[in-house]
Amino acid sequence: MSKPAERPLARIAASAGLLALVILWIVPTLGLLISSVRDKDALAESGWWTALSASEQTVFERTASPDQQIETADGWVIQGQLEIAATGYTITAFGGSQRTPNEGAPGSTVTLRNGTTLSIDAQGNYRFVSPDEPFTGSRGKRMFFSYEKPASFTLDNYKEVLTEGRLGQAFINTLTVTIPATVIPVLMAAFAAYAFSWMPFKGRNWLFAGVIGLLVVPLQTSLVPLLRLYSDVGNALGFEAKGYAGVWMAHTGFGLPLAIYLMRNYMKSLPKDLIECARVDGASHFHVFTKIVLPLSVPALASFTIFQFLWVWNDLLVALVFLGQAEDQIVLTAQLRALLGTRGSNWEVLTSGAFITIILPLVVFFSLQRFFVRGLVAGSVK
Amino acid sequence: MSEHITSALVAIAIGVLGILAYFWISNAILDALIGRSRRPNKEVLREQIRPWLFVGPALLFLFVYLVYPVFETLYLSFKDENSREFVGFSNYTWLFNDPEFHITLRNNLMWLLIVPTLSTIFGLVIAVLADRSRWGTIAKSIIFMPMAISFVGASVIWKFVYHYNGDVANQIGILNALVVAFGGEAQFWLATPLWNNLLLMVILIWIQTGFAMVILGAALRGVPEETLEAAIIDGATEIQIFFKIIIPQIMATIVVVWTTIAILVLKVFDIVLAMTNGQWETQVLANLMYDWMFRGAGDFGRGSAIAIVLMISVIPIMIWNIRRFRQEEMGR
Amino acid sequence: MGGLQDSLSKFEAMDLSGQEIRFDGPWISGDEANLKNVLAYFEEATGAKVQYNGSNDFEQLVLVDMKAGNSPNLAAWPQPGTVGELAAQGELVALKDSVKDAVLADYSAGQSWADLGTYAGPNGDANMYGLAYNVNLKSLVWYVPENFEEAGYEIPQTMEELIALTDQIVDDGGTPWCIGMESGGATGWVGTDWIEDIMLRTQPKSVYDQWVSNEIPFNDPRGVNAIETFGFFALNDDYVDGSASSLASIFFGDSPKGLFESPAKCYMHRQASFIPAFFPEAYQGDAVGTDVDFFYFPAYEGKDLGKPVLGGGTLLTMMNESEASHVLMDYLTSPIAHEIWMAGEGFLTPHSKANLEAYSSDVLRKQGEIFLNATTFGFDASDMMPGAIGAGAFWTGMVDYTNGKSAEQVATEIQAAWDAIK
Repeated sequence: MSKPAERPLARIAASAGLLALVILWIVPTLGLLISSVRDKDALAESGWWTALSASEQTVFERTASPDQQIETADGWVIQGQLEIAATGYTITAFGGSQRTPNEGAPGSTVTLRNGTTLSIDAQGNYRFVSPDEPFTGSRGKRMFFSYEKPASFTLDNYKEVLTEGRLGQAFINTLTVTIPATVIPVLMAAFAAYAFSWMPFKGRNWLFAGVIGLLVVPLQTSLVPLLRLYSDVGNALGFEAKGYAGVWMAHTGFGLPLAIYLMRNYMKSLPKDLIECARVDGASHFHVFTKIVLPLSVPALASFTIFQFLWVWNDLLVALVFLGQAEDQIVLTAQLRALLGTRGSNWEVLTSGAFITIILPLVVFFSLQRFFVRGLVAGSVK
Repeated sequence: MSEHITSALVAIAIGVLGILAYFWISNAILDALIGRSRRPNKEVLREQIRPWLFVGPALLFLFVYLVYPVFETLYLSFKDENSREFVGFSNYTWLFNDPEFHITLRNNLMWLLIVPTLSTIFGLVIAVLADRSRWGTIAKSIIFMPMAISFVGASVIWKFVYHYNGDVANQIGILNALVVAFGGEAQFWLATPLWNNLLLMVILIWIQTGFAMVILGAALRGVPEETLEAAIIDGATEIQIFFKIIIPQIMATIVVVWTTIAILVLKVFDIVLAMTNGQWETQVLANLMYDWMFRGAGDFGRGSAIAIVLMISVIPIMIWNIRRFRQEEMGR
Repeated sequence: MGGLQDSLSKFEAMDLSGQEIRFDGPWISGDEANLKNVLAYFEEATGAKVQYNGSNDFEQLVLVDMKAGNSPNLAAWPQPGTVGELAAQGELVALKDSVKDAVLADYSAGQSWADLGTYAGPNGDANMYGLAYNVNLKSLVWYVPENFEEAGYEIPQTMEELIALTDQIVDDGGTPWCIGMESGGATGWVGTDWIEDIMLRTQPKSVYDQWVSNEIPFNDPRGVNAIETFGFFALNDDYVDGSASSLASIFFGDSPKGLFESPAKCYMHRQASFIPAFFPEAYQGDAVGTDVDFFYFPAYEGKDLGKPVLGGGTLLTMMNESEASHVLMDYLTSPIAHEIWMAGEGFLTPHSKANLEAYSSDVLRKQGEIFLNATTFGFDASDMMPGAIGAGAFWTGMVDYTNGKSAEQVATEIQAAWDAIK
């Protein structure tokens, strides 16, 4: 299949088809990314694909307080300029009642139910007139108006989730979980995989078949028996059942079947002569492994390392069960899930929060993608 | 914060060095102990023991974290909600008469048939197209990207896609916006039975297609050039070549990809939990189990029974996997 | 907080230094900070240390811990139904008489609060296992006073007036109500609150209690009538923003936003006391009480049932006994443990000794008064029903109802679900 189609038409068709699929794949993530830097009001009101166009907002401001009214020939007057004018936006319509917030064009005058009149010009200068009696009350009256808000982007959403959403600390916690939970199983599995591929021993095939069988065990079933074990051991030895060490070991246990499986397949594909020659020369298996096989297995090691890193980083269930949910232990996925619950449709928090949780895996992933693919392929394609 | 980082670093050091030390010291002790003995077959004995030093820690972890819990769960499934008294098969009889369980089984079956199949098909199509395109590598990276996103993160992404803001024309979810643009009526998709299941599956397909694409892409490159050229000379069309020659050649890999994704599908949990929590007939086994174990005061008997059903449903795949391994061993 | 020193001094005399108490609960972020404040005074006075863990998934996580034999000392449950189940399983420690005495003496309608926390233990003997702490008020209708003023509407004092107002708003070309029931996995609970509020206004408290415990079946005409009364408001396309069939899809926290739009999408929103947290920023904090306000969801004048109030709240339970934990429970019945949080946000209490002045705002004070003046207090029924109903069939039933099933059919289905777990 290495030859691309010779006919240009087929090539264009292939390219177009591929483009369509790529767009389909990237649009959801793109929506998240764009939304996360949009203004929070705009985000709730218009689709992210309209991010570049201006939006019309209808809001209200209050007039100055009635004690600043002046008596003129027209009657009692409160006047001034809308605060929005300071931003330079242009008023497109206005009204004196929430039922008819857009009844007047800028510069015109509208009459309200009680006979008062209101006029606002495009620059936001307003004049509220009561011909017959003075204004009462202690608060200014509401003036409704619409204006064109140009597209704007902001990093405020990120600021909000990092501080208020507690994602900053969660980020560190997640790293604390992830690194040991990645390195330990890789080492352990490498030794086991070597034994399974090059050291003859009784029951080797049976044991390895067992490892393959364990690949499919759903880890949900393990949670309670394990936690019970943890707390028994914890009570006996006097430490907390929940903590980082417990999570590292749990991830190690859950990650081992795949690690052993992938690495054994890779190591088995190394040239037989290489290992046998070294053995004949009198090197022990320990030396053959550390000096020859390990360096040659770097792609498989790297591949599994990435796999496990992504798995642990993205895990929710294990962290929910084996770690406390207080600030010093909660991980990103759990925090994001909490946000999903409490901030239901506060999309500005969710989108930026989600993006923070995926940014590091994406970086790791794109920078090491080659290894990942190579190791995976070696493990599955014959 | 810095204290936190320090303790993490210390832990990493202890964990990693500890394991290295174990392997190094245990091997050194073995060499020293048996190296000095006068027994004639000391070399043989040493090489009989050493593999166990290598696989020992891994086997211990596998036993504690996976094997023992399976048996414990089996045992608990025959006990009551507090794991105090034996109740025989009553958890199972309850389960098989529970209408929610029937819906759950139907859903899991749908997931099992649809997700691996569509991921594999999409993966294959993209791998083929990317091979013929100048910008294939970039395309592949983009398709592969969702693999790096957590299920919860993906759920947020897609919840936004499916978002529904009431009966208004101005929808901020892109799915509803498209529906409205084509003259349809915006819907609360996640609460529309059957459709909602498909929409949840889309998320997993979106994530897993990249995996299928990479593996199948490698398999495609392994199809011998001569076979293809011979077929072209014989006047076969591209479509004929694809279905008559390429597909049979990579069939074994297709099956591997399909089963790998199928195993993942059976364990799917986070997506359903975060998107619908099993409401509106979207329940799946893994979430149903979590629900029974931890909803209200929790019922471990029933939760465990569901876990056992889940495990039994993966047994065929497990046996098939082991069988394949044994065949490979014979072939070597 | 004049009594502050008095109610603390009792605890200062105790030395619990070196003792640790683990306390798990559902409160996070702002609530968590307020609770920690309450606990800090206790720590300061006694020297004990309290480790609080808050989480959204609190219930499930505590159960995991409990099954693993790793229960916290104290746990705060939003659903009394769960407390009853745990008590029966023997997972809870009966509270000391001092706690019960304090509730009976100091809580207004103390007996009903003591009853709320009293359940049968594993051997069938009833004990008080739960202490109500941090309650919320559900019988509130939120509105924008200036919108009412502008249209010339008065605050309805009776249910009859409320119905008349609803029709009046429609006649004036407006939409009276905003209702949204979407809440992720808990979608439907908004509807259950409506039903419960109506049940309390159409039936005596004794009937309500029997309905909660299912001594009166769900599909009893009295229950079906409550569902249909909710339907009177919710299933009329003229009465609600959007359409009746879309209620289940509108996020409950978004639904009040219609009050604040120009033009207003609706004039009234029935929701519990916590809802301002979901209002647009301009309507939070000081604006509550002026720019947006609430009135009591009124009772029928024609039915002589007094002024019933529906509320919810958390029950503090002890799962793992220790000396310090018992002292902490005692502390939490003292006025100061209520006043400290009253000075923060999102806290109401029926504690009659706690100084009303301690509330951080007039709004909270006004809500606190509604509590103290209530002639009947009904605890959120769905929280007291078994999880499979109150956090399952009842919710789903509400969604089905707004999607077109009949009240009769919905009630029968909920009853069937209930029969299945008996």
